Amino acid sequence: MSFVIARRAVVGAALSLVSAGLVSAPALAHGPSRQKVVEKIEINAPADKVWAIVGNFQDMSWLPPVAKTEGTGGNDVGAKRKLTLKDGGVIEESVTKYDAAGKSIAYKIDTVDVKVLPVNNYAATITVKDAGGKTEVEWKGAFYRGFMNNDPPPELSDEAALKAVTGVYKAGLEALKAKAEK
Amino acid sequence: MRNCASLAWMLAAALVLPASADEAFVTAQGAGALDIIDVATMKPLAHLSIGGKPAGIAVSRDGARAYVTSPEGQFLTVVDARARKVERQIPIKGGPLGVAVSPDGKSVYVADLYGKRLVEIDPDRGETRSVAVGAMASGVAVTPDGGIILVADRDDNAISVIDSGRFERVATIPVGKHPFGVTIDAAGLRAYTADVESDSVSVIDIGARKVIATLKAESRPYTVALARGRIFVANQHADSVSVFDAASLAPVAVLKVGEYPEGIAASADGGRVYVANWFANELWAIDAASLEILEKAQTGDGPRAFGAFISGKR
Repeated sequence: MSFVIARRAVVGAALSLVSAGLVSAPALAHGPSRQKVVEKIEINAPADKVWAIVGNFQDMSWLPPVAKTEGTGGNDVGAKRKLTLKDGGVIEESVTKYDAAGKSIAYKIDTVDVKVLPVNNYAATITVKDAGGKTEVEWKGAFYRGFMNNDPPPELSDEAALKAVTGVYKAGLEALKAKAEK
Repeated sequence: MRNCASLAWMLAAALVLPASADEAFVTAQGAGALDIIDVATMKPLAHLSIGGKPAGIAVSRDGARAYVTSPEGQFLTVVDARARKVERQIPIKGGPLGVAVSPDGKSVYVADLYGKRLVEIDPDRGETRSVAVGAMASGVAVTPDGGIILVADRDDNAISVIDSGRFERVATIPVGKHPFGVTIDAAGLRAYTADVESDSVSVIDIGARKVIATLKAESRPYTVALARGRIFVANQHADSVSVFDAASLAPVAVLKVGEYPEGIAASADGGRVYVANWFANELWAIDAASLEILEKAQTGDGPRAFGAFISGKR
């Protein structure tokens, strides 16, 4: 139980990296070094069951910090969703690729304040694969840090972006596993 | 007579063969390194530690040197391409990213992403002069006669035209949204920009200083290569390469490649096109005629290979 609480604390902290007085960067500008994160988990549940959860773009309630998902367009390319986090932060995202047969969904963040998630130009893919009755889920993200120029403040550095996204993915996959194995 | 001819042939072969083997100089940004790969075998030849998040690359026409930009480290690394050793590092303030070499190898041009300038470097002496260009200057290319330098001014949605002799900006040409890579054809007549945010390629008549056509690429095109009368475009978010006929500008095919293709360049003879897949850490070889995927090589983490990254006799 304390493990779960600790996980939530990590992701909560990651998603609300609050820092006052930051220089705000234009949403589409970015620094020169793109970062990547890949996290995987094995789930003791059929791939179809796991895909039914993560393949629904309009419901991201499986991710612990998310309080509400509102959106339009279902799972079509271009479909939108607005995630409202438990701490009040907001992330707007849209579908860029959707492959139901291959159980893969790709999406990007359209708008997010770097105080909510310290990244720019964020894109991610979640892929669900059958692994002999069990399921392997892979969550991959590519993004730039929160600060577009040289010499970022620590809370908007490459390391901060990597730490935040890695924290979200690890906690998200653990929560997905818990939900799918119920 | 016959002996003379065969001796001459042997001498010529001896002179040509070592230089004609193409090599790929791939900047691995995450690894902070330059991977040198024999593209005939797709096997690694060397892994040089560079530092400073290396991204841009340009190999001199004679294959003697390779130049690597490190935007975060704020320096240019001069590599002895034949010895496969770092010669020296030259500081460049700002965010040195796009890089190109003059045909005579005497000048290296580096775009400063943050400083709105193009810097001229003498490889033996360091920075000599700079000229103001647009916002977030990214890709750089030089015409085959060395007279004109083009710079992709990403956030101005334009390219700057620089007279290399006077080192002055003589024109700007509006293109699609957020041009990143810029490529000039072998005749020096046309240039192509990959317009990241409009998912397009702008075809530019360099002499007329205007866009003559806009091609529809896939999601987030980054760079363009030219081979066998075809235009190859690396589409980062689509994990694909769009192929067009350079004469008719008609679409030919869309090839599935590895994740996040970024740098793309042709072999010296135009027979192959190589694409660096940033997320997958792979360099892929594509047959420019059949459009088959031929081979893949592993690279260090985060290959960008942004620039003219293939050496070989042209």
